[in-house]
Amino acid sequence: MMIDHFDGKWLVVCVDNRGNEESLERWKIYQSLPDEEAEKHQEIRVIDEEGEDYLYPADCFSPVFLIDAVAKSLVTQYSTHRNATMSN
Amino acid sequence: MQIREIVGAIQNIEVIAKGSSVKIRKKLQKLHGRGNWRKMKGIAEVRLSDNSVRLCEILWFEAHGIGKKHIKVKHYL
Repeated sequence: MMIDHFDGKWLVVCVDNRGNEESLERWKIYQSLPDEEAEKHQEIRVIDEEGEDYLYPADCFSPVFLIDAVAKSLVTQYSTHRNATMSN
Repeated sequence: MQIREIVGAIQNIEVIAKGSSVKIRKKLQKLHGRGNWRKMKGIAEVRLSDNSVRLCEILWFEAHGIGKKHIKVKHYL
Protein backbone atom coordinates (compact mmCIF):
# COMPACT_ATOMS: atom_id res chain seq x y z
CA MET A 1 0.00 0.00 0.00
CA MET A 2 1.21 3.50 -0.84
CA ILE A 3 0.72 6.30 1.67
CA ASP A 4 1.52 10.01 1.72
CA HIS A 5 1.41 10.58 5.47
CA PHE A 6 2.21 8.85 8.74
CA ASP A 7 1.89 9.86 12.39
CA GLY A 8 0.38 13.23 11.49
CA LYS A 9 3.20 14.14 9.14
CA TRP A 10 2.74 14.46 5.39
CA LEU A 11 5.43 13.56 2.91
CA VAL A 12 6.31 16.11 0.25
CA VAL A 13 9.10 16.42 -2.28
CA CYS A 14 10.78 19.77 -2.91
CA VAL A 15 10.36 20.65 -6.61
CA ASP A 16 11.64 24.24 -6.45
CA ASN A 17 14.24 25.50 -3.96
CA ARG A 18 15.09 28.77 -5.70
CA GLY A 19 15.56 31.45 -3.06
CA ASN A 20 15.64 28.81 -0.32
CA GLU A 21 18.80 26.92 -1.28
CA GLU A 22 20.13 27.26 2.29
CA SER A 23 17.29 25.22 3.81
CA LEU A 24 15.83 23.07 1.04
CA GLU A 25 17.33 20.61 -1.42
CA ARG A 26 15.53 20.04 -4.70
CA TRP A 27 14.05 16.52 -5.15
CA LYS A 28 14.55 15.68 -1.46
CA ILE A 29 11.61 14.36 0.55
CA TYR A 30 10.55 16.47 3.54
CA GLN A 31 7.92 16.14 6.24
CA SER A 32 5.08 18.61 6.38
CA LEU A 33 2.96 19.46 9.43
CA PRO A 34 -0.73 20.34 9.10
CA ASP A 35 -1.36 24.11 9.15
CA GLU A 36 -4.80 25.23 8.00
CA GLU A 37 -3.95 28.92 8.29
CA ALA A 38 -0.93 28.44 6.01
CA GLU A 39 -3.03 26.60 3.41
CA LYS A 40 -5.31 29.65 3.15
CA HIS A 41 -2.26 31.62 2.00
CA GLN A 42 -1.05 28.90 -0.41
CA GLU A 43 1.75 27.99 1.98
CA ILE A 44 2.89 24.80 3.68
CA ARG A 45 4.67 24.11 6.98
CA VAL A 46 7.77 22.01 6.28
CA ILE A 47 10.53 20.63 8.51
CA ASP A 48 13.56 21.88 6.59
CA GLU A 49 17.34 21.25 6.66
CA GLU A 50 17.58 23.03 10.02
CA GLY A 51 15.27 20.38 11.46
CA GLU A 52 12.73 23.06 12.32
CA ASP A 53 9.34 23.79 10.76
CA TYR A 54 8.87 26.93 8.69
CA LEU A 55 6.30 28.18 6.22
CA TYR A 56 7.16 27.90 2.54
CA PRO A 57 5.21 28.51 -0.68
CA ALA A 58 3.10 25.41 -1.35
CA ASP A 59 4.04 25.36 -5.03
CA CYS A 60 7.64 24.57 -4.06
CA PHE A 61 6.47 21.09 -3.02
CA SER A 62 4.51 18.16 -4.38
CA PRO A 63 2.87 15.35 -2.39
CA VAL A 64 4.78 12.10 -2.55
CA PHE A 65 3.46 8.57 -2.01
CA LEU A 66 5.76 5.88 -0.65
CA ILE A 67 5.33 2.23 0.22
CA ASP A 68 3.91 2.30 3.75
CA ALA A 69 6.93 0.60 5.36
CA VAL A 70 9.26 3.12 3.72
CA ALA A 71 7.10 6.09 4.75
CA LYS A 72 6.92 4.86 8.34
CA SER A 73 10.67 4.27 8.40
CA LEU A 74 11.38 7.74 7.00
CA VAL A 75 9.18 9.51 9.56
CA THR A 76 10.32 7.39 12.52
CA GLN A 77 14.05 7.43 11.77
CA TYR A 78 14.04 11.13 10.91
CA SER A 79 12.31 11.94 14.21
CA THR A 80 14.83 9.81 16.14
CA HIS A 81 17.75 11.44 14.31
CA ARG A 82 16.28 14.91 14.89
CA ASN A 83 15.79 14.30 18.63
CA ALA A 84 19.34 12.94 18.96
CA THR A 85 20.76 15.94 17.09
CA MET A 86 18.81 18.45 19.18
CA SER A 87 19.87 16.87 22.47
CA ASN A 88 23.58 17.17 21.54
CA MET B 1 12.20 33.04 -7.31
CA GLN B 2 10.64 32.39 -3.90
CA ILE B 3 12.37 35.13 -1.90
CA ARG B 4 10.33 36.58 0.95
CA GLU B 5 9.41 40.23 0.54
CA ILE B 6 9.43 42.21 3.76
CA VAL B 7 7.03 45.14 3.76
CA GLY B 8 8.26 47.91 6.06
CA ALA B 9 10.63 47.67 8.97
CA ILE B 10 11.57 44.64 11.09
CA GLN B 11 10.79 45.08 14.79
CA ASN B 12 11.78 43.29 18.03
CA ILE B 13 15.04 42.07 16.50
CA GLU B 14 17.06 39.58 18.55
CA VAL B 15 19.98 37.22 17.97
CA ILE B 16 18.94 33.62 18.60
CA ALA B 17 22.08 31.75 17.50
CA LYS B 18 25.64 32.49 16.48
CA GLY B 19 28.85 30.65 15.64
CA SER B 20 28.59 26.88 15.70
CA SER B 21 24.99 27.11 16.93
CA VAL B 22 23.94 28.17 13.43
CA LYS B 23 23.11 24.71 12.05
CA ILE B 24 23.31 25.61 8.34
CA ARG B 25 26.47 27.70 8.76
CA LYS B 26 28.45 25.69 6.21
CA LYS B 27 25.76 26.07 3.57
CA LEU B 28 25.55 29.81 4.22
CA GLN B 29 29.32 30.09 3.83
CA LYS B 30 29.23 28.10 0.60
CA LEU B 31 26.41 30.20 -0.90
CA HIS B 32 27.24 33.66 0.41
CA GLY B 33 30.80 33.61 1.77
CA ARG B 34 32.63 33.26 5.05
CA GLY B 35 31.60 35.45 7.93
CA ASN B 36 30.38 35.58 11.47
CA TRP B 37 26.92 34.19 10.66
CA ARG B 38 24.16 34.84 13.14
CA LYS B 39 20.56 33.63 13.17
CA MET B 40 18.16 36.47 13.87
CA LYS B 41 14.52 36.75 14.83
CA GLY B 42 12.05 39.61 14.44
CA ILE B 43 8.54 40.70 13.56
CA ALA B 44 7.60 42.21 10.22
CA GLU B 45 4.88 42.43 7.63
CA VAL B 46 5.58 39.90 4.90
CA ARG B 47 4.08 39.39 1.46
CA LEU B 48 2.83 35.79 1.40
CA SER B 49 2.46 33.35 -1.48
CA ASP B 50 -1.11 34.46 -2.23
CA ASN B 51 0.14 38.07 -2.41
CA SER B 52 -1.56 39.03 0.87
CA VAL B 53 0.46 40.86 3.54
CA ARG B 54 0.49 39.65 7.15
CA LEU B 55 2.41 40.38 10.29
CA CYS B 56 4.73 37.43 10.87
CA GLU B 57 7.47 36.18 13.13
CA ILE B 58 10.43 35.87 10.79
CA LEU B 59 13.93 34.46 11.04
CA TRP B 60 16.92 35.18 8.87
CA PHE B 61 20.67 34.87 8.77
CA GLU B 62 23.15 37.69 8.56
CA ALA B 63 26.87 38.29 8.64
CA HIS B 64 28.84 41.51 8.81
CA GLY B 65 29.49 42.82 5.31
CA ILE B 66 27.12 40.28 3.72
CA GLY B 67 23.76 41.40 5.04
CA LYS B 68 20.44 39.64 5.56
CA LYS B 69 19.99 36.33 3.80
CA HIS B 70 17.33 33.66 3.65
CA ILE B 71 14.33 35.20 5.37
CA LYS B 72 11.95 32.49 6.63
CA VAL B 73 8.47 32.76 8.13
CA LYS B 74 7.90 30.88 11.39
CA HIS B 75 4.37 31.98 12.34
CA TYR B 76 1.66 34.36 11.27
CA LEU B 77 0.80 36.74 14.11
